[in-house]
Order: sequence, then structure tokens, then C-alpha cells
Amino acid sequence: MLVDIQYLDGDEQQSTNNWKGVFSISSYTQYFNVDTDVVLNRLISSLYPISGDFFSKIDANPDLYGLVWISTTLVFAIASLGNCATYLMHRRSDHSTSWTFDVSYLNVAACSIYGYVLIVPLAYYFLLQYLGSNASLIRFWCLWGYSLFIFILSSFLLVIPFEFLRWTIILLGGGASASFVALNLRSYINESEITIVVISAFVLQMGLAIFIKMWFFA
Amino acid sequence: MSHSDTIPLHSTSQSDIDEIENLINSNPSSVLPARPPSPPRASIPISSAPIPPPAFIPSNLPAPTNPKTAPVPSVSSAAPKPPLPPRPSGPGGNISASGFGSPPNTLTEPVWDTVKRDLSRIVSNLKLVVFPNPFREDPGKALRDWDLWGPFFFIVFLGLTLSWSASVKKSEVFAVAFALLAAGAVILTLNVLLLGGHIIFFQSLSLLGYCLFPLDIGALICMLKDNVLVKVVVVAVTLAWSSWAAYPFMSSAVNPRRKALALYPVLLMYVSVGFLIIAID
Repeated sequence: MLVDIQYLDGDEQQSTNNWKGVFSISSYTQYFNVDTDVVLNRLISSLYPISGDFFSKIDANPDLYGLVWISTTLVFAIASLGNCATYLMHRRSDHSTSWTFDVSYLNVAACSIYGYVLIVPLAYYFLLQYLGSNASLIRFWCLWGYSLFIFILSSFLLVIPFEFLRWTIILLGGGASASFVALNLRSYINESEITIVVISAFVLQMGLAIFIKMWFFA
Repeated sequence: MSHSDTIPLHSTSQSDIDEIENLINSNPSSVLPARPPSPPRASIPISSAPIPPPAFIPSNLPAPTNPKTAPVPSVSSAAPKPPLPPRPSGPGGNISASGFGSPPNTLTEPVWDTVKRDLSRIVSNLKLVVFPNPFREDPGKALRDWDLWGPFFFIVFLGLTLSWSASVKKSEVFAVAFALLAAGAVILTLNVLLLGGHIIFFQSLSLLGYCLFPLDIGALICMLKDNVLVKVVVVAVTLAWSSWAAYPFMSSAVNPRRKALALYPVLLMYVSVGFLIIAID
């Protein structure tokens, strides 16, 4: 992130960048400069995977609010609903199981979700910088953060203890989220020889979806 | 001797010197043991005279039997002090600054006094934050005398209660609860600051900690009574109470268009703590 800011701050004066150092709050407020209706708008648009215009929506004002709070909500949702779902599944097969709350779900959820949503955009940023195209880390974080919103909604549906239904839900939700990421990435990059990058983003997001299903909602 | 000092004396040093000279003058043959604090000396005028530049201050000691001495400028090292407050001196007594009404020496007071003072502050803060009172509309007035002892006790108590209720992995439950609440309070405060709101960091931490008090009660009840339905009802009620306590402070701190953005994380944290209380078996 520091690299991105200094790159912008060097010659180009069109961005209003007031970076006052790593430890000053006011240098980060520019990434949280959104109102409630803006956030809701972006959340709704993350549910439409085909449109591919997310980057043009966030171009002037990318925000990290979505990243932080959607991922936190997702961590809590899959930890708590995963416990409920596991209990219901065990109860279907064996009527005498009692409710146990596995606290380690919270640890695994936090590590995996936060790790994914912080590291994958960072990796794509460095990859695209290496390949020569212009990328913005904040916008990548914003994109991946909002792409997790679908998982929150689907995790509520995944409590239903029917295995076939669960797989359907997670594949649909994962597919929608992954195509949201991939199509927006493709429209942002705009070059033909980086389709492998787009496809790998799709595959990674699907991998996250399947991991969530198999670990938390088994 | 103080007559040859050219360094400006601290105000309490001047009174020390006066007292020692008083002792020497009044009782030259014996050294008095520690005595109870002397009554306020009326001879030292507490007036609103302007403060002189710190200069050579001779030991100007009016005799204790002459209470009506005219004001002398060089003694107005005591002048800045306001009219003497009643001195809450404990049985140990402070000789050093007793005559001039300097603040009570909290290092030498009994421990019980300190604990009692902190406890009364916690109780008064609790009454301001959590229970309905006339000051709730202006949060700045409500928690002006913030402290962090109260939040600390409430967070640790909640962690301990959850840990006692759990049947397996007790230490992990405590760690998760404590980390969630402590980091959550810090992150919520940072969230408001990042959204452009105006709050004082520690005041906000203090307030979020005090708003945990209803959930503490709920956790205690849930620990004692293990029925799921009772737990759900109790947690729902205490959750609503906590949110109602935290709402005015958080919502008044940010721009009204961003109110929901600031309040949603508070709700998320309390709901997750409530879920932990219900779910820990």
C-alpha cells in the first residue's frame, strides 16, 4: 500500500492524496470517505456478477470500509452458522447428539477469511505490476472485499441440513462471486494476454467457497 | 538557610521551611514528633494578588500568634492557591503542605481510600451510561470523568463467566472472548475516527466497556440457568439494553449520513457476544 501511495504522490497531482504518515489516522480517512447509501449501492451491485462495471463505480472513491466489515461479518457468520449447521446435520443422522460449540471455528474462520482477503489482492497487485499493467491496490482490496458479500447471504442458507441443497447453494454462490471478481478484473485490465490471471482469480474464489462449505458446513 | 537561596523555591518547600523555623523558634530544645496537621494559618493571606515573578523568597514567617499580618508580596507564593478546601487528611497526615491546601497526597493515603474512590467513580459512570438519566442526550457530559477500571472489570468478568460456563476448551473460550471485546472496542473507536467522526479515543473505549454491563448480567444469569429458551430471552433483553446504552454516543459522534456505518459494527460486536453467551454450553 505504501508503494501505491508514493507512486501516486510523486508526479501526478490529480489525486487528492494527503498521506501524513503510517501512524496518523487522518491519512487513512480518505479510504473511508463513504456514506451509508454509497455502501449500500456497492453492496447491491456486488450481487450482479455479469455487469462488470464495479471498477468504474469505485474509481473516484474506493473504500476500505466494505473490506473490513464484510470480512468481519463473514467470519462471525460462518463460525456461528457453521456450528448450527454441523449440529443440525449430526442431529439428522443421530438423534441423541447434544449441542456443542466449537470455539476453534472462530480461529479458523478469522485466519482463513482475513488471510484470503488481504493476501490475494496483494498478490494480484504485484503480479500485474510485474506484468507491466497499471494496478491499484486499494481498488483490488475494495473489489475482493465486496465480493465476499454473497458468501454472507449464502451462509445463512447453508444452515438447511440437506446435503444436495447445500452443495447447490455453495456452488451457485461461489460461482456468482467468482465471476463477479473475474469479469471486473478483466474489464479493468483490458489486455488479452492476461486471461490466465482472470481465470486464476475465478478458480481461487471458487476454492474459497468450497473450503467454506467443507470445513464449516460439513 | 533559605535566606541565602537564590533558586526560586517550590511552594511546598517554602512551607516546609516555615514549619521547621516555626518549630525551632517555638521549641528550640526538643524535636517534635510527627504531629497532626496544623490548622490553616490565617496569617497567610489567600488573596487574588497577582503572582510575583519567582525570585528570592526570604523565609518570611509571621509568628503563629499574630494572625492579622498585612499581606506581604513575597509570601504570595501561596497566593495562587484558591481558598483552602477542607483537607481530607487520613490518620497518617501530611506535614509538608498542610497549611496551604495543596491537593491531597494520593501516594500516602490508605489503600481503602483509593479503592473506595475508584469504586465510587465506576458506580457513578455506570449510572450515567447504562441507566436512564437526564444527561444521556449529551454524551460529552455523560462520561466526562471516564476511567478504564470499569471496562476492564466488565470485560474480564464476561470472559471468566463464559469460561466457567464452557465445558471444554475453557482457556480458549476466555481468550476468544477477551480478544473479541478488547480488540473490538479499539476497532470500533478507530472505525468512528476513520469515518470522520469526533470522539476521544479513551472516552469511547470507556463507554463501550461500560455498555457491556448488561451483557455481564445476562451471562451471569445464563451461567446459573441452563435452559435454552431462558438464555435466548435473557440475551435478547440484555443485548437490546446494551445497544440502547451505546446508541446515543456513537450516533452523535459521526455525520448523520454515516450513522448506520458507525452503528452497524457496534451491533455486530454485541450480537456476536450475545451469540457466544447463548452458545457456550
